[in-house]
Amino acid sequence: MSSKLKFRLALVLCCVMMMSIFAGCGGSESAPDDSGSQGEVIKLGFLGALTGSVANYGIPGKKGMEMAIEEINASGGILGHQVEGVYDDNKGETTDITAIAKKYITRDKVVAMVGDPCTGLTQVAGRIAQDNEVVILSAGATGTGVVEIGDYVYRNTLLDIYAAPAVVDWMVNQKGWKNIAMITSLNNGYSTALTPVFKAAIADKGGNIVLDESINDGETDFTAQVTKLKNAGADVLVFTGYYTEAALIMNEVQKQNLDIVLVGGDGLYGQDLATLGKSAVEEKVIFYCGFSSDQPGPETAAFLESYRAKYNEEPDMFSAQYYDAVYILKKAMEDANSTDPKVFKTELAKLKDYPGVSGNTTFGPDREPIKSPVCLITIKDGKFALLEKIPVNVE
Amino acid sequence: MDALLSQYIDAYYLHLMVLIGINIILVLGLNIITGVTGQLSMGHAGFMSIGAYTAAIMSVHLAFPFWASLLAGATAAAAFGFLLGLPTLRLEGDYLAMVTIGFAEIVRVFFLNFEPGGKAVGLSGIPEHTGFTLVWTMALLIIVLNAKLLNSRIGRSFYAIRENEIAAEAAGINTTRLKVLAFMIGASLAGLGGGLYAHYMTYIAPQDFGFMKSIELLNMVVLGGMGSIPGAILGTIVLTLAPEMLRIVAEYRLLFYGALLVLLMIFRPNGLLGDIRWYDFKKRWFNKGVKTWPS
Amino acid sequence: MFLEQLVNGLTLGSSYALIALGYTMVYGIIQLINFAHGEIYMFGAFAGLFLVTLFDVNIFVALLGAMAFCMVLGMLVERVAYRPLRGKSSRLSALISAIGVSIFLSTLMALLRGTNTTRYPEILKIHTYHLGPLELSSLQIIILLVSALLMIGLQLMIQRTRLGKAMRACSQDLDAASLMGINPNRIISYTFAIGSALAAAGGVMVGIYYNAVWPYMGTMAGLKAFSAAVLGGIGSVPGAMIGGLTLGVLEILGVAYLSSSYKDAIAFGILILVLIVRPQGIMGQKITKKV
Repeated sequence: MSSKLKFRLALVLCCVMMMSIFAGCGGSESAPDDSGSQGEVIKLGFLGALTGSVANYGIPGKKGMEMAIEEINASGGILGHQVEGVYDDNKGETTDITAIAKKYITRDKVVAMVGDPCTGLTQVAGRIAQDNEVVILSAGATGTGVVEIGDYVYRNTLLDIYAAPAVVDWMVNQKGWKNIAMITSLNNGYSTALTPVFKAAIADKGGNIVLDESINDGETDFTAQVTKLKNAGADVLVFTGYYTEAALIMNEVQKQNLDIVLVGGDGLYGQDLATLGKSAVEEKVIFYCGFSSDQPGPETAAFLESYRAKYNEEPDMFSAQYYDAVYILKKAMEDANSTDPKVFKTELAKLKDYPGVSGNTTFGPDREPIKSPVCLITIKDGKFALLEKIPVNVE
Repeated sequence: MDALLSQYIDAYYLHLMVLIGINIILVLGLNIITGVTGQLSMGHAGFMSIGAYTAAIMSVHLAFPFWASLLAGATAAAAFGFLLGLPTLRLEGDYLAMVTIGFAEIVRVFFLNFEPGGKAVGLSGIPEHTGFTLVWTMALLIIVLNAKLLNSRIGRSFYAIRENEIAAEAAGINTTRLKVLAFMIGASLAGLGGGLYAHYMTYIAPQDFGFMKSIELLNMVVLGGMGSIPGAILGTIVLTLAPEMLRIVAEYRLLFYGALLVLLMIFRPNGLLGDIRWYDFKKRWFNKGVKTWPS
Repeated sequence: MFLEQLVNGLTLGSSYALIALGYTMVYGIIQLINFAHGEIYMFGAFAGLFLVTLFDVNIFVALLGAMAFCMVLGMLVERVAYRPLRGKSSRLSALISAIGVSIFLSTLMALLRGTNTTRYPEILKIHTYHLGPLELSSLQIIILLVSALLMIGLQLMIQRTRLGKAMRACSQDLDAASLMGINPNRIISYTFAIGSALAAAGGVMVGIYYNAVWPYMGTMAGLKAFSAAVLGGIGSVPGAMIGGLTLGVLEILGVAYLSSSYKDAIAFGILILVLIVRPQGIMGQKITKKV
């Protein structure tokens, strides 16, 4: 092939690439805009990572959401409309979630978005949703400054500022674990936001922190931190990250013949905790969570059963919260008798005592979710087991 | 202007175009360091994050006007470019690449521990000052300035250093000074791009500027054709749009993206536009007789 | 505590060293930073896992099986993604191709196995030995021993065999070597095979030691190993070993005595300082520039 020909070929290829991406432009503008008419499909956009290193937390969410939508469609949809989920992968990156949120709103014309598991990304999508008057219901953002963005932004999560102090109180005053070692996952937003909440609660309840270490998500070598822990004289270890790293830390703890309990937040709710940790986590990990798969309510039991049947695996916290989020949106639309986000968002704010599978949810006066009581969960025989239910104090 | 545009073009495409504009600024910066001067830098995202964080913190915490923070971001990045440029006096090739990787990682770890930047949660609520018009005005301005620079005495010296450092030195070029200069210019453009990025996205976090971001920018420079401005622009456009277009293959997206990189390099080993400069374009289109395409 | 941390560091460092060897060998011959090498290491770990869970083999069979699998994979990657570029393009184009392979392989594994971390079954019963104040686990001893054996074996092969001689010749001057009747393509292929096998050994041992493997484990490990190779002097085989061990120990001691939050920053900071003082790395040879 001559060089000239090759060059022209490359140019043509580039042109085709560019045209194919801009091709949808005209189509989306000429699409009919009567989204209120009977029979029209309601679209919900999924926010979360399906590839990349944080896909662990997006994929279960997608499964929960898919299952909820399937169930709703099988039982007649929402207000007679069928529901369609749109699932684009954001890799857990800012540029991707911006592109996706804008694509969902302008091209797919979604009425609401569900996600993202991460606080920072939810804020980015939240601002886009607020500006374009589309509802966003996050199923994982636990940090601050989310619902403050505006009245289109909601979240269905267990808020650590209520739950963590109750757990610390239980640790220090009931168990007598006063010397506390902390481990934070430095590159995990959830963990870095939860650590100060725990630290404040520990100071408040009269515990003292004897060791303050950090790790990174995605690493496997925690030998140095655990060797330090062994020499720190701690009664209990508080780890604020997710289940994968918790299991790996406990593996190392077991290898170094250390006998200590790990306490954490609902980020530890994932079957991988038990499959990865095996005997190292058996009755050695305690965390709080909005619900318990051990003694479930009727809704949770039904959810667990159909999730296991459909995917042949255990649901985690994200699948439960995404699943709930879809149903909460359905309830709001039905209460408002409208699929227009401008209308049903006011009904969403009124949600009270919704018996979701991830816990009993109420949106408070500041539109923040409140879930009470909180369950303390441990692992027995490789399964999650309810240890205790502690009431949550909300002023 | 932006409001007018958003009536005719939907937000998704407008977003992609803004992204291309910002990436062009970043890539032209890296192009000067790696493409033109031949100093392999694999830590461009480090400079970008310095610019982004400096600008964002000045806007958010210190309430500086947008232009001042943008300028401060670019200056801070340039200062670090100077600091990092100094070791290049002694280091070559992949040792230099290693230092730039290490530098970017240190910067990332620093911001992971940086309280005013929100640690891993990131810094949000940055005022949105950047839009299509501003980004593309700046991008076009930088393209023109870049072309002027590369055609000047300094620019030609950069190329000379890439081609043969010893010969360049023998020809009376102060290679040390020029290499540091190249680093400073490249870093300041990265800082500028970072500042624009922060004020467009309204949210930044350390993981936005990881090793893979540096690699992504390097891909754009090499894919386009080392040292060529039109090449860098084309490479940026192709590699910014490719992942978006590949959304149709859903979870196989990155699989195709990886394969695409390999295939593009096999079929265009010297980049899409080789070492073609504006100058060559002019020659080709205005003087049919001259053939300057490399094979 | 210092001794325990030192052993932790040496164990971590020996896994870096095994990966770094592959980087340095490939680099020594074709001056390519093989960015897909971290992914080969990851595939090695998964190949070992596959053998252990499906066929219930013992650790050494798993190790050999994974090494054989990665030999083929490494040669395949070289054949498909690097050879077509050789001679036609700059080193950087090959680097981009390597990055493409790296993205491709890690995504492939994520699609095959899911992105969750998988537990490595216990192949060995762990004993703990007390040597005075020092606690050593049998796993640590095995990892240190196997790595040492592999490195000595590699050194012998390079210094004593015909293949090693050919490899050294190629790394000195590829063109001259081919004039002497050495088939450079074949030698490069073998180099990839050997480097990949060592990475696979590292992968299996890391899997056993930390009980965990996941599809993105190669990225950071690859980056660290590359740093180790550069620290030791890229292109130098003993350098890669020393660089790997040094980096591992530095990292662990950084956590132990400085701060775990700045762990990577400390390791990279020291690396940069070393390079500024000794631009050719610890064991690298200073090449006089010829005009």
